[in-house]
Amino acid sequence: MRFTRREKFLMKFHPYQLWRFIVLNLKILKAVDHSKRS
Amino acid sequence: MAKVVILGAGFAGHTAALYLGSRLGKDHEVTVVNRYDYFGFVPSWVWVGVGHMAPEKTTFKLRPVYDRMHVRLVVGKATEIHPDVGDQYVIAEKEGGETVRLDYDYLVVATGPKLNFAGTPGLGPGSGYTYSICTLPHAVQARDKYLEVVERLKRGERLRIVIGTGHGGATCQGAGFEYLINIHKDLVKKGLRERASLTWLSNEPALGDFGVGGVWVRQKGRFVSSEEFIRAIFEEYGIAWEVQRAVQRVDEKVIYWEDRDGRYGETPYDFAMLIPQFTGVPMKYLGKNGEDVAAKLTNKAGFILTDGIYGLPYEELVKTPDAWPAVYQNPSYPNIFAAGIAFAPPGPISVPHVTPNGTAIVATAPRTGMVSGIIGRVVALNIVDLIMRGRMTHRERMTEMFASCIASMGDSLWDGAAVVINVYPVVPDRTRYPNETGRDLGITYMEMGLSGAWMKRMIHETFMWKLQGRPGWTIIPE
Repeated sequence: MRFTRREKFLMKFHPYQLWRFIVLNLKILKAVDHSKRS
Repeated sequence: MAKVVILGAGFAGHTAALYLGSRLGKDHEVTVVNRYDYFGFVPSWVWVGVGHMAPEKTTFKLRPVYDRMHVRLVVGKATEIHPDVGDQYVIAEKEGGETVRLDYDYLVVATGPKLNFAGTPGLGPGSGYTYSICTLPHAVQARDKYLEVVERLKRGERLRIVIGTGHGGATCQGAGFEYLINIHKDLVKKGLRERASLTWLSNEPALGDFGVGGVWVRQKGRFVSSEEFIRAIFEEYGIAWEVQRAVQRVDEKVIYWEDRDGRYGETPYDFAMLIPQFTGVPMKYLGKNGEDVAAKLTNKAGFILTDGIYGLPYEELVKTPDAWPAVYQNPSYPNIFAAGIAFAPPGPISVPHVTPNGTAIVATAPRTGMVSGIIGRVVALNIVDLIMRGRMTHRERMTEMFASCIASMGDSLWDGAAVVINVYPVVPDRTRYPNETGRDLGITYMEMGLSGAWMKRMIHETFMWKLQGRPGWTIIPE
């Protein structure tokens, strides 16, 4: 596996990363909810 | 009135103290024994170790928090546990050497590990030659040495930096990985990277294993492993790696190791940060007549035995998700619980290996960070249950537990990065998830980018808020 030029660009591209920040937070909240958290 | 004593105020012990104090503190007696009068936010010490965060930004005083939560703090260390029914107490040695007896109805052992530098001759700060970021004083020492290295690089020297694990049975590879990449990023920013060689030296069975058997995720229609992912990062950053290594000893200039085939080799270094083996914190466990009852409470490494199934061979363990403890309760003494690193896992998550010379190379199961906090909460809520209702209603095995690991790769909010790794469950459960990975592929996830650096900083700020018991602290997940 190698990071493509496009992937490397997106990793640093602020508007795209803002979107990923929102998505990552939602993913974690969903997973915490899905987990037992009894 | 019930008396609850908690030994340790790390992630597990402090989380337990917050839950117990907020729910029982007014009517019952909750006491925490901790070596320091402050809480240290361990995940940010990788930044302290490169001089990017002031040590005091990672700590807060425990006493004001505990005063609000009706929790009593004893600064010192527990030296004896007397667990026999009828006369159950802990002996703790306070800062000035004075001893204190603490009677308990419920005991939570959340001492964290003893850093067993002595397990590898020449390892560790103080008596050895290498550095550590496992405690705040250690991270500060590592920072000072690293900044010396930076000065030498500025003078034109070419130096070798080695980061990883310093024992065949070490854990916490993730913290070492973060420290390594933060050093890389710092040297790049200072224009010194080409003068330093960076090497990852680890006991993992493969790159990207991190003691959890690695992670597999679906990306763009195919499986990508954490091994491929981390290899791509190391290749991109020009970092060399040596895995499947059990460090045997260290001298002033060389790290001596044995690999999985039993061959011996050497890695020369100028600056090394190697995580030591963790063992249980040594204490005396004494019965009513003064007899040693340690065998009923701890395993050989000194970790507290809980409701797991111990002694299964690895091949059996991976097929037995219920071997992992659910309530973290000692079977011989049901009012003793263990949380965080202090509890004895039933075995490793990663594939263990013994070399032809008989050396075990086993990346031990990590029980830090989110896992520690969750276990601290489960234990605390069950003690509340036992006091209020007489039965426990909470459980969470590591085979049922979600965890998110955010590995910093540069702290800058402008051009930093982090790898976000979500795993569910932490320990693969091949009975519930009969795929090759034993994990839920809809939740298990891995991504790298600037957003990770924002996540890591957000977690620092929100956790420093949560762990001080400020308004809304229970809403923030462990």
